[in-house]
Amino acid sequence: MKPADVPARDWKALLLRHEMILLYVLIAEWLFFYFAGTSVNRRGVVIGFGTLDRQFDVLRHSCEIGLLALALTPVIITGGIDLSVGSLLGLCAILFGKLWHDAGLPIPVAAGLTLVIGTLAGGLNAVLVTALRLPPLIVTLGTYSLFRGLAEAITRGAVTYTDFPAGFLFLGQERWLGLPTQAWLFALVALAVWLLVHRTTFGRSYRAIGYSPEGARHAGLPVASRLAGVYLLAGGIAALAGIIYTARLGQAKADAGTGYELFAITAVVLGGTSIFGGTGSVHGTLLGVAAIAVLKNGLACLPVVMELNAAEEIAGLLTGALLLLALTGGVAFRMVPRLRRSRGAPSPTPPSS
Amino acid sequence: MTAVPLLEIRSLAKSFGGARALRGVDFELRAGEVHALLGENGAGKSTLIKIVTGAHQPDAGVIRVAGREVSGLDPSAARRLGIACIYQQPALFPDLSVAENIGLRLDPGHALRRVGWRKLREQAGDLLRKIGAAIDPESEVRALSMPEQQLVEIAGAVGTGARIVIMDEPTASLTQKEQHLLHAVVRDLRRDGVGIIYISHRLEEIFALADRVTVLRDGESTGTGAIGELTERELIRRMVGREVAQIYPPAERPPGGVVLATRAIGCAAGGVRDVSLEIRAGEILGLAGLVGAGRTELARVIFGLTPADSGAIELDGTPVTLRSPRDAVRHGIAYVPEDRRRHGVVLEMAVAENMTMAVHRKLFPGSWLRSAVEQTLAKNFVRDLAVKCAGPQAPAGSLSGGNQQKVSLARWLATKPRVLILDEPTQGVDIGAKAEIHRIIRRLAGEGLAVLLISSDLPEVLGMSDRIGVMRGGHLAGILPGGSDAHEVMALALGQTAKGAA
Repeated sequence: MKPADVPARDWKALLLRHEMILLYVLIAEWLFFYFAGTSVNRRGVVIGFGTLDRQFDVLRHSCEIGLLALALTPVIITGGIDLSVGSLLGLCAILFGKLWHDAGLPIPVAAGLTLVIGTLAGGLNAVLVTALRLPPLIVTLGTYSLFRGLAEAITRGAVTYTDFPAGFLFLGQERWLGLPTQAWLFALVALAVWLLVHRTTFGRSYRAIGYSPEGARHAGLPVASRLAGVYLLAGGIAALAGIIYTARLGQAKADAGTGYELFAITAVVLGGTSIFGGTGSVHGTLLGVAAIAVLKNGLACLPVVMELNAAEEIAGLLTGALLLLALTGGVAFRMVPRLRRSRGAPSPTPPSS
Repeated sequence: MTAVPLLEIRSLAKSFGGARALRGVDFELRAGEVHALLGENGAGKSTLIKIVTGAHQPDAGVIRVAGREVSGLDPSAARRLGIACIYQQPALFPDLSVAENIGLRLDPGHALRRVGWRKLREQAGDLLRKIGAAIDPESEVRALSMPEQQLVEIAGAVGTGARIVIMDEPTASLTQKEQHLLHAVVRDLRRDGVGIIYISHRLEEIFALADRVTVLRDGESTGTGAIGELTERELIRRMVGREVAQIYPPAERPPGGVVLATRAIGCAAGGVRDVSLEIRAGEILGLAGLVGAGRTELARVIFGLTPADSGAIELDGTPVTLRSPRDAVRHGIAYVPEDRRRHGVVLEMAVAENMTMAVHRKLFPGSWLRSAVEQTLAKNFVRDLAVKCAGPQAPAGSLSGGNQQKVSLARWLATKPRVLILDEPTQGVDIGAKAEIHRIIRRLAGEGLAVLLISSDLPEVLGMSDRIGVMRGGHLAGILPGGSDAHEVMALALGQTAKGAA
């Protein structure tokens, strides 16, 4: 072993880490859309992906899915899953609207209550997963339908709450200190979840549980309460996403956030968190969210896509391809040296059979 | 002996990253011999076996099977060449029946062809009878004991006509009687001209069974010899490069007051009933018994993994409720489990992270991780327990079995426990590390810990314990004074009167 090998390997390993590769992809993606998706219109005004307004739009639109992805990261690190966050976003948006509009509560009180209700709804998942030891996939598939169904029932599928005060809409539609207001809230939650996962004993236990639930139990870690914690947190963050959603669109409706959970899971997995638990990072999730958001918005700015009028469809297609590439890419990197070795190895006689 | 060996290995070398696991190993296996492979943990035995079974590719060297050089060996090619390996922990499908498991070996099947289950079932039954195993081919593998599962593996290997059978510590978790049965099977195989590579840390077993011995040390073979020409002392010297006296460290001082007492505790789920025992500070209470006698189950009850449903547990004379491992840890009870890969450590996590896992509250007030504190603690334990690893950041899974055990032990020593339960602490651990672990255990007892030592290694229980509890069928058959005779212990374990035990 040459001593010089070691740092070189470390350096290479760092550059080839999943998050780093994702960062290169993100930069490449952004540059591509910057050059291909920006143009000057007849009046000489720059339009498309390259404008600051557009960039803020990307940010604004990724906050809700980003929050759900943040909520899901600890859950998936423990080896679980929460399919109900998108439905819960919708339910919380409706409840928030109802509390403000029908019950006549002030906005801050309604928002506070909504956060509590969201956390309690997460608690339902927590109880079913930890106390009854049911598989999270099935539990949250159930609450996925339940929460959406409740939202539909409350509004009878027809009511939407609108006419929110301007002070509230500021949260979703205006800028504060140069950035879209909700981006600050998103950054705050991202920082909190990052600290939780990477800098506390909670995050450490999530990883241990994800790798080996029995091993964690034998170490005396409070497995049940840690698991309960991640589902409660997911509920709370989903409620926050519901409020921000309402503020951005200026209305609360029962189908808010439909399908968001799948985008969020995609972002988390794209960010390098293993669906089997244990491995994962919050910064990876953030990069995953950004990669999907840039792709989706960038495509809408490409002239060729605008002609086809199929930005959503193409975005879905490419997101899926990106995810599969990310999943197989890791395997491919491990395969390459093996292939090289087996090709280079001398084989004077084939193994007899 | 035939002129052409069944398996011939010349100058085999293999590195993992920067670490050289094998640096020129020569090995030769003849037809109809039992060839013991000896070496400390990390000497390269596992790597050698993994190369022969095709799991790893060598960097250099030559492998010849029946005189023909083979290269690019992969698991399926190894199987076709008649190489079979019986692992310490059998790799069977737990939800399938014994017959189905053996059947899958005999006939891997084809997607579009029907499986002749009836015929396979008959063949499986025949094979089990042939190796003298009294196992119902219809029973589910999940329901079998570890030794029974090993017999199923052997039956499968025999059925596929394996010419080279590798046994990796097959008797590590077997009772005396099961060991004899397995030895008989090995001798049968030998008579049929099969070459057997036999890995074991039990020297008496090697002297009873092997024809020749090859000792590995630090990835090199230190030579092969006929068993008749070697003494136990010589073997140990070759293994460790120095002579290690197998002397158990004596107790330093008389035990203090009773720390842990169980009052007729039982647990229906664990099959433990009516166990009353007391452990004093500074005392090592050995726990002997056959596999399945309920020793691990008793430990799990005390540690709160399967809480007691009758009786009471007292710490310092005060009754305590232990409903979970967390309760037990809070009361200063530590449990180093038997299955270190599944329970003892989290393989994917770093050595340091594993070592601090049970002391999160103590080490990290306010739940904030403190890297410097963690590294210091880990480095101290790595030094004190002589853990061989690339550093505190190395994943626990990259360590050898004995070193994983030390990590598991360090995790619990970090809790500064009052009661330490050790479940088979030296199983699969080489002789050098074993003596070291014995010294550590005695030192801990000397510091006032109450130690409950569960072991299937009878000399270890006899040599280490101040008193010896013997379990049988889920209850405590009796407690014998330290230094008791092996026969007395076995008699209690088997449920015989002292006269009947021989």
